[in-house]
This record gives sequence, C-alpha cells and structure tokens, in this order.
Amino acid sequence: MITDEARAWAQQTYPDYVFDVGRRDIIKYAHAIGETDPVHFDAAAAHEAGYSDIVAPPFFPYVIRMHAAHLVPRDELAPDGSATADVPPVGATRAMAGEIHMELGAPVVAGDVITVKKRILEMYEKEGRSGNLVFVKMEFTFLNQQGDLVAREEFTRIYR
Amino acid sequence: MTTELPIVTRTPDAVDLFLFSASSWLIHRIHYDLPFTTENDGHPGLLIHGPLQGTYMVQAAQRFLGRAAKLRSITYRHLAPAYMGDSLECGGTVSDPVEGSVEAELWIRKADGTVTTTGTATFEVQP
Repeated sequence: MITDEARAWAQQTYPDYVFDVGRRDIIKYAHAIGETDPVHFDAAAAHEAGYSDIVAPPFFPYVIRMHAAHLVPRDELAPDGSATADVPPVGATRAMAGEIHMELGAPVVAGDVITVKKRILEMYEKEGRSGNLVFVKMEFTFLNQQGDLVAREEFTRIYR
Repeated sequence: MTTELPIVTRTPDAVDLFLFSASSWLIHRIHYDLPFTTENDGHPGLLIHGPLQGTYMVQAAQRFLGRAAKLRSITYRHLAPAYMGDSLECGGTVSDPVEGSVEAELWIRKADGTVTTTGTATFEVQP
C-alpha cells in the first residue's frame, strides 16, 4: 500500500495555520462537551479565576486542528467528509483514530491567536485481521501570540 | 496509594454527536450519516468520536479532582468502537498527589463490559 508516491506525500511540509480564538468558539465547544464551569462562558468568572478572558476546556487544541484541516472550500473535502489533503495516497478509504498523546502548556483564552505547526512523523504499514493497515503519525504544535507552547499533540490515524 | 474514581456514565445521543462535530468543525460522515457509515465503513451505527471519549475520561477525573486540577498530559487509545446509543461508563484510578502531580489511569467501557478506550493522564493539583 505504501508506494513511492505515498512516501513522497509523507515528506511534504505544511504551512502554519493561524486560528483566532473567539469567545463564541470556546462557548460552543464547552456546551458541546457538557462543561458547566462559568470560566468557560463568563468573562467575569474567568477574570476572578485569574484568566484574561474566558478560558477553553483542555481539549480545545483539538478543535483548532480540526478547523485547520476542514475549514476549506467544499471541493477540498473527500467523499467521507475528511479533508482530501489529509488522506494519504495508499488506496484506502476508511479512516480510524489511533493513539493520541497530548501535552498541555499555557491555557487557551478568548482573544488568543494560535499558530499550529503540523508535520508527519512517520508512516508505516501493518498486517491487520482483514488486510493491511496504514498508520500515519502526525505532530501538531500549538503556540500562542507570545510564542508560548499551548500544546503538543501526536496523533495516529489508521487507514484500511 | 490510588483511589478508584466514581464511575460517570455518559450516553451521547444524536444532538451530542452533532454538537461535537459542529463545534470542532469535524465533517467526517461516520458521526452523522448512518447509511454511509453502515454501507461504506461496515459499522452497525454512528460512531462516538474518539476525542469526545477522551474528553469524557478527563471530565470523569476532573469531577473527582476538582476544578483547580489542571490536565498536563494525556495518552489514550481506542480498543473498540463506541456507537450512538451505547452507555459509556467512565472510570479509573488516581494516585495520591506527589509533588503537586496526580497520575490517573482512565478507561471507558460499555454496559456489556467491552472496553472502548484506555488512557493515562497527569494532572497538576494544588499542593
């Protein structure tokens, strides 16, 4: 499944992605996951807790990288809704989430401008029960406008 | 010493899956398009997002540790798919604090005992 074309694909470099964190982005996500702490909704409560504005729940970097991948013109989405640019040319169309490792640094607050750096760490093939699987391991580094590390994430997607 | 977390059961429905996809701008059809998911991917139902399960695990630990506890790192993996309609029991153990840090072993299992997700997390706590 991993051809020279796929190996070349895995060598590509990605431009940085910049995400302006709005209050509404945080509030939507916080409601979606059932958070109730007012620091995610109310600037006064966030100030009282020592934040400059409403603060995002810890998994918010995931929201940022989903936008980086999927907030693209409609014709850049694959038939399954994933971003065409993220699908390796390995002849597999079904994707599953593999292991995720995330380290968190500075909190994300409304008004932050987060820069995401993405690279592919490795791509490899394994024999599965119903044919071969291709593993694509990516790294995302999230920095805020001060250059502080907000998060670093390693994420493996499995194609079959 | 470790302490067992009280189990928190989450049963996300169609609205929960929609809200998670919409708020994170996740467009993958296996979370909202049932005919596509069964015919193309061979799943019996809509999939509960992996990161939503990761979130549930963190929230179960956070509920026990308190709001002041801050997630510092997490590693988790999915062992079996979780489908809309499944009740997800979120549990695990947390260590006593050592130098302001707590280690958590976390898992999610379905009512039939199938473990869908396991992980380890580190929280910073007030000394």
